[in-house]
Amino acid sequence: MQSRTRHAAARPADESIAGGAIGIDNVSIIFGEGEASFIAVDRVSAEIAAGEFVCILGPSGCGKSTLLNAIAGLETASSGRISVDGTTVTGPSADRGMVFQQPALFPWKSVRKNVAYGPRMSGHGDAEADRTADRLLEMVGLAAFANKRPQTLSGGMQQRVAIARALANTPRILLMDEPFGALDAQTRAMMQENLLQIWHELGITVVFVTHDVDEAIFLADRILVMSAGPGRFVREIAVTIPRPRSPEVAIDPRFVEVKRQSLEIIRRESARAFDQQMKSALS
Amino acid sequence: MTGHPDTGEKSGRAEPTRRGRGRGEALNRLVLVCSLPLFFGLWELISRSGVVNVILFPPPSTVLVALFNWLQSGQLLIDFGMSLSRVVVGFVLGAILGAVIGVLTGRYTLISNFLSPVFQLLRPIPPIAFVPIVILWFGLGEIGKYFLVFWGVFFTVWVSAHLGVQRVDDKLVRAARVLGTPENRMLREILLPGALPYIFVGLRTSVSISFYTLVAAELAGTFSGLAYRIDIAQQNLQMGQMMGGLVMLGVISAAADKLFAVFAQKVVWWS
Repeated sequence: MQSRTRHAAARPADESIAGGAIGIDNVSIIFGEGEASFIAVDRVSAEIAAGEFVCILGPSGCGKSTLLNAIAGLETASSGRISVDGTTVTGPSADRGMVFQQPALFPWKSVRKNVAYGPRMSGHGDAEADRTADRLLEMVGLAAFANKRPQTLSGGMQQRVAIARALANTPRILLMDEPFGALDAQTRAMMQENLLQIWHELGITVVFVTHDVDEAIFLADRILVMSAGPGRFVREIAVTIPRPRSPEVAIDPRFVEVKRQSLEIIRRESARAFDQQMKSALS
Repeated sequence: MTGHPDTGEKSGRAEPTRRGRGRGEALNRLVLVCSLPLFFGLWELISRSGVVNVILFPPPSTVLVALFNWLQSGQLLIDFGMSLSRVVVGFVLGAILGAVIGVLTGRYTLISNFLSPVFQLLRPIPPIAFVPIVILWFGLGEIGKYFLVFWGVFFTVWVSAHLGVQRVDDKLVRAARVLGTPENRMLREILLPGALPYIFVGLRTSVSISFYTLVAAELAGTFSGLAYRIDIAQQNLQMGQMMGGLVMLGVISAAADKLFAVFAQKVVWWS
């Protein structure tokens, strides 16, 4: 864990070859035109190091998902630049895996074929893609369900399949858009631990969007707090709680301290956003 | 089923309901078994009672005899074969072309802008209205029959394929994009399977449409076929034969629908 420092420069050379550093440089994302235009993301900048686990924390509608979509290449920045290992992002790519709030599994494919989909698209043969799929299903603990239809699985299991499917492309970066938001508390806690384990094993960069403070602190090396209207990074919180983390860290004094700080920032920011909304509504 | 096992009171209450449900099920099954015999029995009775003209409203026994004679003459098989071939040829052509063009117009705005206005103009015209013109175009031969069935099937399948492609869940398309699907494979990998359930709804509707278009086509003039036989029997006042023709049409189109449902279940098993 010690080698997982926050700065790419400090990483051993062989690891930096694997890459996965993200540069967000003065990025704005504006929807619509003229009078009806809406600024979803407003001049946001951040550097995310290769192998880092970063949470983007903010209220609903603050533009955090839009920003994540832009990193994925599903959305285009209206201005500014998003880059991965120095290369500007122009569209989706297999080196950036993404997990959505809904599992979005292909209902006409078995669990195995869902996971094998990415490797097949990048030109691997069926047999090889299936082998990759089985390996990843093993990793998320669903090897026994490879031949099942996705619809027959529970929500948590479906989301694990979605994670396996995103990882099957051996991406350098995993983007996660409130992936556990629809799950019950127990399942969510289990999924979070499982995710940390996978991240530890693979050493990839994870950018995880959430509105849940506890989730962000439990998972992240660093939390980027985003505010609404327009979406901006307002604070950055480093989470120095040592790893591996178990759910018990929730009562660790350091956890409590980070949480106190975060909540304070969020409260201040929501109050400010609320004032602003009132003002603009009244004017 | 989710009740706690330790509440004996609950399971005690469940017992009579279960027995009650068993009684209800037996009754339901009995009524189901009786439905058809009762229908034919009543029909036979009314026909023979003298309340109605037995010539115009023959009992099922007479219809059965007519069906048997029809079969024995060898004509039934020919009529059946001819009607079936018209439906199959028209349906298959209409289904394939409708699905292919529908997928293309659903996917590519340029193609849609070119074809959709024309199709929307032609689509509402009932295929039956084309019968007179088709006779002039193709005469009384088979081509005209194929054409009419094709016409009925094509637009229905086209609309379902067009809408199907457009209604493919956007989440799936986005997932496919981030998984590295090249644009030129999106159609085959995601849009086509995503649209398939819609296309099959259109295809199944088209099965019934093709049968009623067939009837119109055969009544307009031909030399064999189930509906043609009904027409001929009418001229000879063979009521049994006419009703036998109706029965055959009912049987064949119901069987086609059932067969298609089984086929659809196999192909679009996930929906």
